[in-house]
Amino acid sequence: MLSRSAQGLYWMGRYLERAQHLCRLLQLQVEALVDRPVREIHLGWSRIYSALNRQPPFGGIQFDRRDNYTLADSYTLAGDLTFERSNPDSVWNCFAQGRENARQMRHCISAEMWICLNLAYLRIQKLNIEDIWKTSPENFYAETVEEIHTFSGVAATTMYRDEGWHFMQLGHCIERAQFSVALFLSQIATARLYQESPDGDCTALLRLYHAFDAYDRKHSVEIRPDRVLDLLATDPLLPNSLCRSLDSAATELAAIAQGPSASSSAAANRLAGRVQALIRYEWPDRKDRETIFRQIGEHCRDLHNQIMSAYIDYGVEDAPLH
Amino acid sequence: MEFAGYDLDDGIYDEMLQPNGEPREHSRLLYETLCRLSSDEINSIQERVTRSFSNEGISFTVYGDAEANERIIPVDCLPRILPATEWKHLEIGLTQRLAALNRFLDDVYGEARIIDDGVIPADVVRGCPQYRSEMCGVTVPHGTWVAICGTDIVRTNEGFLVLEDNLRVPSGVSYMIANRKVVKTSLRRLYRSSRVRGVEHYGRLLRKTLRELSPSGRNDPCIALLTPGVYNSAFYEHMFLAREIGAELVEGRDLLVNGGFVYMRTTTGLRRVDVVYRRVDDDFLDPLVFREDSLLGVPGLIHAYKLGNVAVVNAPGTGIADDKSVYAYVPDMIRYYLGEEPILGNVQTHLCRRPEDLEYTLDNLENLVVKRVGESGGYGMLVGPHSTPEEREAYARQVRANPADFISQPVLPLSRAACLIEGRPEPRHVDLRPFVLHGTETRLVPGAFCRVALRRGSLVVNSSQGGGGKDLWILQD
Repeated sequence: MLSRSAQGLYWMGRYLERAQHLCRLLQLQVEALVDRPVREIHLGWSRIYSALNRQPPFGGIQFDRRDNYTLADSYTLAGDLTFERSNPDSVWNCFAQGRENARQMRHCISAEMWICLNLAYLRIQKLNIEDIWKTSPENFYAETVEEIHTFSGVAATTMYRDEGWHFMQLGHCIERAQFSVALFLSQIATARLYQESPDGDCTALLRLYHAFDAYDRKHSVEIRPDRVLDLLATDPLLPNSLCRSLDSAATELAAIAQGPSASSSAAANRLAGRVQALIRYEWPDRKDRETIFRQIGEHCRDLHNQIMSAYIDYGVEDAPLH
Repeated sequence: MEFAGYDLDDGIYDEMLQPNGEPREHSRLLYETLCRLSSDEINSIQERVTRSFSNEGISFTVYGDAEANERIIPVDCLPRILPATEWKHLEIGLTQRLAALNRFLDDVYGEARIIDDGVIPADVVRGCPQYRSEMCGVTVPHGTWVAICGTDIVRTNEGFLVLEDNLRVPSGVSYMIANRKVVKTSLRRLYRSSRVRGVEHYGRLLRKTLRELSPSGRNDPCIALLTPGVYNSAFYEHMFLAREIGAELVEGRDLLVNGGFVYMRTTTGLRRVDVVYRRVDDDFLDPLVFREDSLLGVPGLIHAYKLGNVAVVNAPGTGIADDKSVYAYVPDMIRYYLGEEPILGNVQTHLCRRPEDLEYTLDNLENLVVKRVGESGGYGMLVGPHSTPEEREAYARQVRANPADFISQPVLPLSRAACLIEGRPEPRHVDLRPFVLHGTETRLVPGAFCRVALRRGSLVVNSSQGGGGKDLWILQD
C-alpha cells in the first residue's frame, strides 16, 4: 500500500477515535449539569481540559458555588471543546480532520463508509453551540458518537481487510490508549489537587467506558477509585480498556507486512509488546499508578513515531525495490 | 409537469421538442413520462438527485474561491437523449478525429512532414506554448500520444460541431458516471423502457487501455494516477478513477526515479510503477525538464519515460494538438493524414495572428466569442453579445497587444435541452463531452458528460462558471 494512503487511514482512525472519546466525555459532562453538585461539574471540566493538555478559555476554571455561573461557564467551555475552530482538539476539528483524511483516501475505503461519514459531517457542519444548547446538548454528543459507531460498524462489514484496514485500526487503538492514559493521569492529578475524588466522578469514568456492569460483577456496589482505575486499565474483557487497546494495537501491527527495514518493523513490534507487558505483568506489582501510566504514555508516543519511521517516512536509500 | 409556455426558438435546436412543440421521436417516451408526473413528483426526483450528490460529496473546486473547496456540481434530473444513429455518427467522427490527432503528434515531434508540406505553418506549431521540443524524436507505444480524449461537441440547427479537443488532462468522466447512477434509479421505469446503453464500464475500458500502453514485458503492470492533490479542481474525479481502475492515487512526492525507473513509496518499500496516468499538466510533470519550480511533479520522470521504462498517459506535449490555434487546422490534418473528409466539422475560427482575422475580430467583437489560446475552463473568454462596451474595449486592448494569443468564433446558437428550473421545464444551452480511449484500438463508452449552462440565456457551460451537468442517454439500435 502507498505509504501516504496508510498514513491517511491511520490518521482517520485516530481523529475519529478522538472525536468519539471527546463526545462521550462531553455527553457525560453536560448530563451532569442537570443534577450533579457544582463541585463535581467543576472537577469534570478540569479533568477534560487536563486530559487534553489545554487551557480553558479565559485562563482557567473558577470554582464557584453559584449554579448560574457554572451553567454560563459550562456553555463557554462546551463551545470551546465542541465547535471552536481555533481549538485543534475540538470535536468539530477532530471530526473534520477524520473526514478530510477519509475524503483524500476515498479510493481506499468502501463507498458506504464515506457516505456514512459525509452524512454525519453535513449534519454537524450546520450546527453551533447555540443550536445544541437550546434543547438537550447531550443529544448532540450522543448522536455524534452513534454516527461514529455506525461508521465503525459499516467499516467492519464493508472494508477490505488489507493493510489499509490494519492501519486504520492501529490509529483507533493507539489514540484510544493515549487518550485513556491522559484521562487517567488527569483523574489522578485532579483527585490529588482537590484531595478527593467524589463518587460521582468515578461513576462518570465507569459510564465513559461502559464499565458499570463489569464493575458490579467484579466488585460490590461500593465504588472505590483504585478499583475503578484497575478495571479500566487492566480488564481484557472490557471493550475499551487500556489493556485491550494495547493488545489490539499489537495485533494490528503484527498483521501488517514487514516494512522496508526488517529491523525497524521489528522495533515497532517490540515496542508494542513492551507496552502490552507493562500493563499485563508490571501493573499488579506496582503501586505507583501515575508512573506506570506515564511510562505507557511515553511508549505509546514512541510506538507512533516508530510506526511512522518504519512504514511511512523511511529513508529511501536502502529501501528494497519491488 | 406541463410544457405549456416552454420557449421554443426556430433558430435554436431543441433536444427534446420539434419546432411545432411535438416531441422528437427518440424523446417521446421521456416527454410523455414527464407530462404524467405531478410537480411534486418531479421536484422530489430533483431533490433526491441533488441530495445524492451532496451525500456522496461529488464535488469540484473553484479556483480563487476559498469557500468553494468542495462545491457540489449542480445536476439536472431530466436526461438528454440521443438516438443510436446520431451516436454512431459521433462515434465514427470522434474515432477519425483522434486518429488524425495522434498521427499529427507523431509527425510534429518527428519528421514534421505536415509543416514541410505547408499544411500548417511552422510558427503555429513551434510558437505554441504547448509545443515541447523535449519530446522531439520520442517514440510512443503504438503511436498513441493521446490515450484519453474528451472532445467538446455542440449542436446547432446544422448539426454537430467540435468546439474543442481536450487532449491533455480532460476531466468530467466521473460526473458522467455519477449522473447516470443517480438519474437511472430516480427514473427507473423510464430508464428500463427507454433501452439506454450503459456507461458504467468506462473504468474497465480505461484500465485495459492503460495496460496496453505499459512498457513491454510487464505482465501485471502497476498503474498510478498522478494527481496535483486535494486542492485540484478535479480531485474528486482523480479519486473516483483511481478506484475504478484499481490504481494507486499518487502525488509527485510519492514517486521517485531510481536508475531510470519510476518507483512509488509503499509500506513495504519502493514499488516499480509501469504506467503513470497523469492528471498534472506538462509544465509541472518534471522539474528537471519543464518548470523547475514545480513541486507537483517527479524529478527524472521524463528521463525514465524516454528510456521506455514507464508510460506517461497522455504523453507530454499533447497540448500542442488541442491548442485553440492548431484546432483550426484539424480538418486539414484529417485530409492530410487519413485522406478522408472530416465527419465532424469545426466551428469557424478566426486566428487573430492573421491580420485579416484580427481586423475582423476587432470590428465584430460584440458578435463573437473571443478566447485566449492558452486558457481553458471558460476562463479568459469574452462572450461578445453578453459583454459591455467597456469590457469589449478592455479586451480589444489585450487582443491588439498579443494577437497570436487569441482566436474568435461566431456565437453559436447551441442547442437547448429541457431542464427543471424552479419546478418547471425550461430550455437551457447544452454541449456534450464524450470520452474516447485509445491504446491499441479506439474505445468509447456510449455516453458523455453533458454540460448545461444553467443560467437563463447563458452559453457558458463550464462548471466553474455556473454550469452544471445532466445525464445523456444513448439509445440502443
